[in-house]
Amino acid sequence: MDLLYELVTDYTLRTVALGAALLGMVGGSLGSYAVLRGRSLIGDAVAHAALPGIAGAFLLTGSMNPLVLMLGAATTGLAAALLVETTAHTTRVPYDSALALMLSAFFGLGLVLMTYLQRHAGASQAGLDAFLFGQAAALVTRDVYVMAALGGIALVVMLLLWKELKLLSFNPDFGHSLGLPMQLLNGLLTTLIVVAIVIGLQTVGVVLMSAVLIAPAVAARQWTNQLGRMVALAAGIGAATGVAGAVVSASMRNLPTGPTIVLCMGAVVAGSMLLAPERGLLWRMGGPRRAASPHPDSSSSAPSPADS
Amino acid sequence: MTDAALDIQGCTVAYHDTPVLWDVSLTVPRGTVTGVLGPNGAGKTTLLKAVLDLVPVASGRIQVFGDTYAAQQDRVGYVPQRGSVDWDFPTNALDVVLMGLYGKIGWFRRPGAHEKEQARQALRDVGMLDYADRQISQLSGGQQQRVFLARALVQDADLYLMDEPLQGVDATTERTIMHLLHDLRDAGKTVVVVHHDLHTVADYFDRVLLLNKHAVASGPVASAFTDANVRAAYGTEMRAATEAH
Repeated sequence: MDLLYELVTDYTLRTVALGAALLGMVGGSLGSYAVLRGRSLIGDAVAHAALPGIAGAFLLTGSMNPLVLMLGAATTGLAAALLVETTAHTTRVPYDSALALMLSAFFGLGLVLMTYLQRHAGASQAGLDAFLFGQAAALVTRDVYVMAALGGIALVVMLLLWKELKLLSFNPDFGHSLGLPMQLLNGLLTTLIVVAIVIGLQTVGVVLMSAVLIAPAVAARQWTNQLGRMVALAAGIGAATGVAGAVVSASMRNLPTGPTIVLCMGAVVAGSMLLAPERGLLWRMGGPRRAASPHPDSSSSAPSPADS
Repeated sequence: MTDAALDIQGCTVAYHDTPVLWDVSLTVPRGTVTGVLGPNGAGKTTLLKAVLDLVPVASGRIQVFGDTYAAQQDRVGYVPQRGSVDWDFPTNALDVVLMGLYGKIGWFRRPGAHEKEQARQALRDVGMLDYADRQISQLSGGQQQRVFLARALVQDADLYLMDEPLQGVDATTERTIMHLLHDLRDAGKTVVVVHHDLHTVADYFDRVLLLNKHAVASGPVASAFTDANVRAAYGTEMRAATEAH
């Protein structure tokens, strides 16, 4: 009860919980598309590649304004994503190799820049190193406003292009045959995912950020067979686990917020994979027993000529 | 001005310097059903993708209704290979069929009652209306194939390109699908089908293209689908191809 009271009254906890809810909601929604397209790791590459962008933005401007740092993060994050796609398309390097390559190259550059900044420009005082593992306690109201504005725009674009993004995720070749600019849509979806990542970096950090995209989406997929419900559920799970992580880390001394949020998400994924009807492990283990009794699915092919 | 629905002249496609199609020419008259046959890796899928502008054409010219594909795109329907998508995608049969209308619906708009009725009609045409709300992973291979077919029907195209629409379907579904394709032809539409079963060619198709990277033979089944041409297209794979059926 004390915690609930603090959630409303304590400025730091309220700000952190709000920020965590926002990044969980936006990450969960857009992460659903990454998961469905089998491109879960692109988030990991973009998040790691954001580090040199953050350091570079600070180096160039000397500003700690969240918008400036996010712009830097988005620039290198998007550049890495484009380089992964281009490398996989135009060379014989496979997609996963291109991804691993860009992730480590950009992250390496980021670490070099951070070390340089720490020696010369006092980046640790400025709090730049918090972007590595996240430092939710440093969130202020202005950060949350920026997160809400950028995340809100990303979600509105996602809703406006709902059917186009669905087609992109399910059958891009067919979309192309309808005359839809699938490559443009692919670039746009990548940009939206970059936005989802960038707004969470200060809270969760570049190392763990991809979990925010993947975990809520994987958990949501277990409970529903409909894209709309999956995205909504992933948004809800992301927001709820974000708040839960913020509260848990605040209630126990020295628990880092970002990793705690990720652990909460992991727990929901584990629970969903275990308990969800039809897809869950327990449900499947009970399979042979149920198959003996009449089951709506097992008789489903009866009305039509039995297909192979 | 040509009367052909599809006219391919000297088309060459390469992946990383390796030619997949070499100097292929094919003329498909309107109102015909054409089968495209050849061994694995002969470039059958690539040929369809070249027409659809999904793979870059290194040289040659492709015309659809005497025009570029881009200009005639609305008149071309496409049935991709069933295995080219993830059937565990969270959606149902009706929703997949509705995708055939996404181009016509336009940006930012959602499918309405009118579009849903069109999609239901297409599902009815392929005998799948009872499965409209079924999650697509719960459909059999033949049912998934018919959903793809319904999605193409709803496009109401004049030229249909179909990649192995009979792959993985049982005999009854195969008859249903072929009946449907012949109905399309009788309504003046043109259908090009990638096919793998040599035994049914004479029953199913008006014309045939035998492909093995280059066009071995093309034309009416009676004149092009000869033993000598089939042997030339399949080569040493001939025995395996006939024994498999």
